[in-house]
Amino acid sequence: MKKAIIIILLLMNFNSINADVIFDLIKIPNLEIYDIKTPNKLRYLYAKQPFTLGIDKNINCYNSKKVILEQKYKLIKKNLNRYTQEFLNKINLKYIVMCEDLSISNINTAGIPDNTMKTLILDIKFDENYFERVIHHEVFHIINDTFKEVFDEKAWSNINIKEFEYAECSTCTDKLGLDTYANTNGFFSEYSQSTASEDMAEVFSHLMIGTNLNNSDLILEKKIQFIKNSLLKIDKNFIL
Amino acid sequence: MIKKIKASRSEKIIFSFVIILAIITFGSYFLIKNKCLFIKNYDPRKITFQDPDNIVILNVSCGNVIIELYPNLAPNSVYRFKKLINSGEYNNVAFHRVIKNMLVQAGDLEYGKKDNLNYSKIGTGKSGYGTINSELDYPFDFKKGSVGLARTNKKNTEDSQFFILLKDVPLFEGEYSPVGKVLYGLEVLEKIKFNDKSEYVLRPDFINEFYILSEKN
Repeated sequence: MKKAIIIILLLMNFNSINADVIFDLIKIPNLEIYDIKTPNKLRYLYAKQPFTLGIDKNINCYNSKKVILEQKYKLIKKNLNRYTQEFLNKINLKYIVMCEDLSISNINTAGIPDNTMKTLILDIKFDENYFERVIHHEVFHIINDTFKEVFDEKAWSNINIKEFEYAECSTCTDKLGLDTYANTNGFFSEYSQSTASEDMAEVFSHLMIGTNLNNSDLILEKKIQFIKNSLLKIDKNFIL
Repeated sequence: MIKKIKASRSEKIIFSFVIILAIITFGSYFLIKNKCLFIKNYDPRKITFQDPDNIVILNVSCGNVIIELYPNLAPNSVYRFKKLINSGEYNNVAFHRVIKNMLVQAGDLEYGKKDNLNYSKIGTGKSGYGTINSELDYPFDFKKGSVGLARTNKKNTEDSQFFILLKDVPLFEGEYSPVGKVLYGLEVLEKIKFNDKSEYVLRPDFINEFYILSEKN
């Protein structure tokens, strides 16, 4: 009898309503504030517990150790501080969610951008060789999703040689390598060749970390100019 | 001759105990029933304000909540808020969404009126004046007592509903249009009826009267 009363009391306690402001705002559970006093007003959140998202619950991410979080937060903040508050407002990015082992349908991914929720989920345990660059890669997807009309994929694809064709989607191909080519041939990396959108994101991220072309590459130079011009259409003060 | 029977010591103790118990029981009944006990009711007439045109008084069951409005931060939002206050449209409207120690929300003029309460639709009603745009340009610290206009999941859908924070919620900055801050009487709002199991309240508390200080005779 005593046990039953305790169980009932516990259940009542667990069922009581708790305000989850973060969930109300961006529809991701189990998050807590990491830092919101930032110069460009980005709000950094972290997974306190693992979370699952999506109608099919196919997006998963896990909480990290405090030490890893501290270490990666510094890198993320350093890179994202390069975007001004005005630019972030324009592209609809406000919340950065830090967690580890991020996956969609069991495929590991560096980040999941969602411009409608103004959120970018970042896997803080993503390969360190590319970690800082992929932050900008994912930011580009937010930019692209918000300004689809500016980044015309057909015009972009026409820059490539006629024989080249992108895959149907970024996961429909085995071209997943993120290493930067020593000698480019229209593409910065193998992953650039997956889709037009990923190609643009790769060009943008390489520009953000200051990669220089080692060789004469007319196609890539055109792509770089395309990205630069498009960004200036969004924000005339944007500096690469 | 009637012989007086003296009460024994234990009988006296039991009698005293019953009397004390009765006093405690009746006392507690009245204390518990009166949720407004120990809540200070501020009289705005006894306080001097620099700008009474932007001081509004929200009168609820436990007393007055005195709010200062910030038209410089969110002019259109404050204009709409004052318009609805001045027309008396907030009077008898429910606090339909109350999260304990977090916020109280009211202002559904369509489904939240005392004489026309619609539990299935409350929180979705409109004012009839159309929506207004979010005003998020100025920094605003959403501290305890801050008053903001509520909206749907999308920006620029503000209408008549408003919320008052019962704790600091810094994440609301840049999300909700700020209209003002409670100067006195926040404890009155902490007594607004809430539901432990849901954000929405069955048989909610109502706004008695909402008025602009300078407009009151």
